[in-house]
Amino acid sequence: MDFDPTPFNFAAAGINWLLIVGVCLGLMTVVSLLVMAGSRGTRGLTMWTDEVGLMASDLVSLSPRRIFALSQLTFREAIRRRALLVFVVFGILFMFAGWFLSASTLAPEFQVKVYVTFVLRAISWLILPVVLLLSCWGLPEDIKQRSLHTVVTKPARRLEIVLGRMFGFAFVGTIVLVVMAVVGGFWIKRQLPAVAQEQLTCRKPVFGYLAFKDREGNDAAKGINVGDIWEFHSYIEGATKARAIWTFINLDASVLDSDGNLRLENRFQAFRSHKGDMKRALYYQYVLVNPQTGLRVPIPLKTVNEFRGRTDIIPRKLGKVAEASPAAADEAETAAAYDLIDDLVSKEAVVDPETKNVIYPAGTMLVEVLCIDPGQYLGMARPDLFIRTPDLSFWVGYVKAVLGIEMMLILVVVLSVTASTFVKGPVATLLTFCLVIIGQTAREFMAKIVNNEEAGGGVFESIYRLVKHMNPTTDLPEGTATTVMRFVDSALVNLMWLVYNIIPDFSFFTRSLSYLSNGFDVNVATAVYPGLAITLGYFIPCVLLGYFCLRTRELEAK
Amino acid sequence: MSTSGASREAVIEIRNLSKIYRDFWGRKKVRALNSLSLDVYKGEVFGLLGPNGSGKTTTLKLLLGLLFPTEGEISILGEPASNVSKNERIGYLPEESYLYRFLNAEETLDFYGRLFDMPASVRKERTEKLLDLVKISHARKRQLKEYSKGMTRRIGLAQALINDPDLVLLDEPTSGLDPLGNRDMKDLILDLKKQGKTILMCSHLLADVQDVCDRIAILYGGELKVLGRVEDLLKSQNQTQILSSQLTPAALAEVEAVLKKHDASFQVDHPTASLEELFLRTVQESKERPGHRLVTPDSKSQAG
Repeated sequence: MDFDPTPFNFAAAGINWLLIVGVCLGLMTVVSLLVMAGSRGTRGLTMWTDEVGLMASDLVSLSPRRIFALSQLTFREAIRRRALLVFVVFGILFMFAGWFLSASTLAPEFQVKVYVTFVLRAISWLILPVVLLLSCWGLPEDIKQRSLHTVVTKPARRLEIVLGRMFGFAFVGTIVLVVMAVVGGFWIKRQLPAVAQEQLTCRKPVFGYLAFKDREGNDAAKGINVGDIWEFHSYIEGATKARAIWTFINLDASVLDSDGNLRLENRFQAFRSHKGDMKRALYYQYVLVNPQTGLRVPIPLKTVNEFRGRTDIIPRKLGKVAEASPAAADEAETAAAYDLIDDLVSKEAVVDPETKNVIYPAGTMLVEVLCIDPGQYLGMARPDLFIRTPDLSFWVGYVKAVLGIEMMLILVVVLSVTASTFVKGPVATLLTFCLVIIGQTAREFMAKIVNNEEAGGGVFESIYRLVKHMNPTTDLPEGTATTVMRFVDSALVNLMWLVYNIIPDFSFFTRSLSYLSNGFDVNVATAVYPGLAITLGYFIPCVLLGYFCLRTRELEAK
Repeated sequence: MSTSGASREAVIEIRNLSKIYRDFWGRKKVRALNSLSLDVYKGEVFGLLGPNGSGKTTTLKLLLGLLFPTEGEISILGEPASNVSKNERIGYLPEESYLYRFLNAEETLDFYGRLFDMPASVRKERTEKLLDLVKISHARKRQLKEYSKGMTRRIGLAQALINDPDLVLLDEPTSGLDPLGNRDMKDLILDLKKQGKTILMCSHLLADVQDVCDRIAILYGGELKVLGRVEDLLKSQNQTQILSSQLTPAALAEVEAVLKKHDASFQVDHPTASLEELFLRTVQESKERPGHRLVTPDSKSQAG
C-alpha cells in the first residue's frame, strides 16, 4: 500500500498507448502487405486494399441491435453452461470460512483486514477463472459446433460477434460479481466480531512531509538508528532538542471532524535504553507551529500506544502547556486562547528572503513531536502520523474495491475473447492465464530488464556468463563476439519492451483492496480511473485484433 | 421453356474457382475444387450434385465466405463473397442444422431476425408466419435440443427464410426428413421459386433434385462434369414413350402390329408409380379412412 498514492497520469499513459498501438498496427500492416504481395503478387496488393476497404465499411456499419442480440445469446449460453455453479463453490466457501477466520486474539483492525481480504480475494479468485474459461471456450466451441456458421452467413459483422461475445461474458461476470459482493458484504458485517465492527471504516488521511532535528536542535535528514537493519523508522531521543517535524499543507476547516476537532492518528514506536517508569508508557508531546507567525502551541502530553497506535483529539480552541516538560502531564492548560485553524495555519506563503523560494505555502501547519522521557527513544516514519479527516463509510471503499475487480474481470474477458479468435479453447485459456499471471507477478522484473537495471546483461550474455562461471559484474572481454552478443541482446530487449508494454499491469486493479483492508480510503482517481483507463486501453486494440483474426480466418478450414 | 443464360440475370457467377486445403505448415492436403465456372440465374432452382467429396459443400461454403478461394472469383448478387452486406439478401440452410440448441423455436427465429436488424414487430410477424409455414407452431416453446431431426431441419429452413431472401442456399435440404416432410420441403422449394426467388441446392438424393431443379451441375473430384437443364439431360432422344389408359387387348394387339410392321423394338408393360408416390397416397388415404386397411395384390394373396 502506497501511503501517498500518485494519481494516474492519463496524458503520459495516452501517449504511451498511442505509441504501442501505432507500432503494433504498423507491424501488422507491413507483415500483411508482405505476405499478400509475396503469395499473390500485384493481385495480392489489390486484394489487400479491397479487404482493408471492406473492414473499414464493417467498422462504420455496426448495429447495436445485432450486438445486443449476440450479447444476449452469449449470456444465455453461459447460463446454460452452468456458469452459475460458481455460486455453489462460493456458498460452501463462506459457510465454513468463519471457522478458520475467527481470530479473536488479533487486534480489531487486523480482524477487519483478515475478513475483508478474504472476501475480496475469494470473489476475485472464484470469478476470474470462471469468466476466463467461459470466454476462452465460447467462440472456439461455437466454431467447432458450427453454430457460428448460421451467424456469419447473416449480415452480422465479425466485429459485432467479437463485441457481442465480450459484452455478453462481461455481463455474466458482472452479475456474478454483484451477487457475490453483496453476499460478501453482508457476510463481513455479520461474521466480524462486535469489537471489530467499529473498525469497519474508511479513514481519509492527510499525510505530511517529515523532517528531523537532532539532539542539538540542528536540522537532520533523519533521526537516530537504534540498531534496526530496517531503517524505515527514525528515532528521536527523549528530553533533548530532537524533534520530528511534520509539515501539513493545504489545511483548512474541512480537515476537522464533525465535532470541530482535529484528529491526529499516530503509530509511534518506543525504544527504551532503560526500564524507566514501569507504570506508564513513554510520554510524547505535540507542538503545533504556525510557520508564518512562529506561534507555537504545545499540547498536553500523551502516552505512546505501542504496536496499536492511537488517535489524539485536538480541540479547535486550544490552551497551552509548558513545552518539553514532564510537568506538562499534570499541568492544567491555559485558557483556550488559540484557534487551531485561524491561528496555527499559515495564511500566506513563507518565502526565503534570499532565494525567494516558497518554503511553506499558505495553509501550512507544522506538527513537532517530542519525546519527553530522558534516555528513551521514539521511532517514526512519514506515514506514522497523519491528520484523520472525517471518515467515509466502509461501504464506499468496498464498492471501489469491487469496481477494481470488475475492471479486472472485463479485461480478462477482453483478452480471453481476443485469444479465442485465433486459437482453440485450451490454447486461449493457457495464453490468457499466462498474461494474467505475468501481469500480476513479473512486470517489475521485466521492467528491470527493459531499463537495463538487471546486472548480467541480456539473454545471450547471461548464458555466456553462466557457462563461463563469470559473476554478473565482471567485465566481458572486448571483441567481435561480445559486440555481436550485445547487439542481439539489445534487439531482444527492444522486443521485450514491446512485450512489457503489451502485457497489462494487473496490480492497478487490486490497489483499493489493500487500502480498504487497512481501513483507508483512496480517492477515485487513484483507485478506479487507472483500472478503467487500462481496461479501455486494451479493449480498443483487442477488439480490432479479434475482428481482424476472425475476419481473416477460414471458419471451415479442415 | 428453354432458359438462355445470355438473356437472364446471373445471381451467382463463379469463375475458375479452385480450393486447395492445406495443413498447418501450408503443405497441400487436398484439391477440393478445380477451376469451377458456372452461373446461377435469377428465379431458377439450381442443383449441385455429386458423390461425397465431390466439392458441392465446399462450393457452397466458398459462396458464403466460410472458406476463401485459392484461385478464382465469386460474385453473389453483384457483390464479392467476402462482403458481408450480401448476406442481407441470402438465406442459408446448412447441411446439419447447426443452430443454438439451448434456444427454443421462437427465440431462434427472433435471434436470427435481430441479426438482420429487424424491428420487433417485423420479427414477431415473420416468426409466426414461418413457424406455420414449416409446421412447428406446436413446438415453438421447446428447446431445439428436444427436437427430432426432421423438426430441426424445419426450424433450420425457417431461419434461412427469416429475412425473406432473394437467394436461398440449401445444403442437403431433404436429408433427415420423412417422406411427408420431404414432399413439404420440395413443395416449399417450388413455392419459393414461384415467388421469384433463386434457389441453389446441394444434394445427392437424385430424385429430389429431379423433382424440383430447373438446371443441375454434377461435380466429381472437384471438377464440373455435367451442366444443363434437367429435362434436356434426362431426355432419351432415341426412345418414344406412349402412355394410355383403358386400352383394350384388341387395341393393344393392333398397336403392337403397327410397331412390328415398322421394325421397332418395343416393350409393353404397366407403368409403376414411385415408392414416394405410393407412400404419400397411403398416408393420404389413411387420413381419409382411419382404420381401413389398404388392399394390395400381395395382401390379397396372403389373405387367400
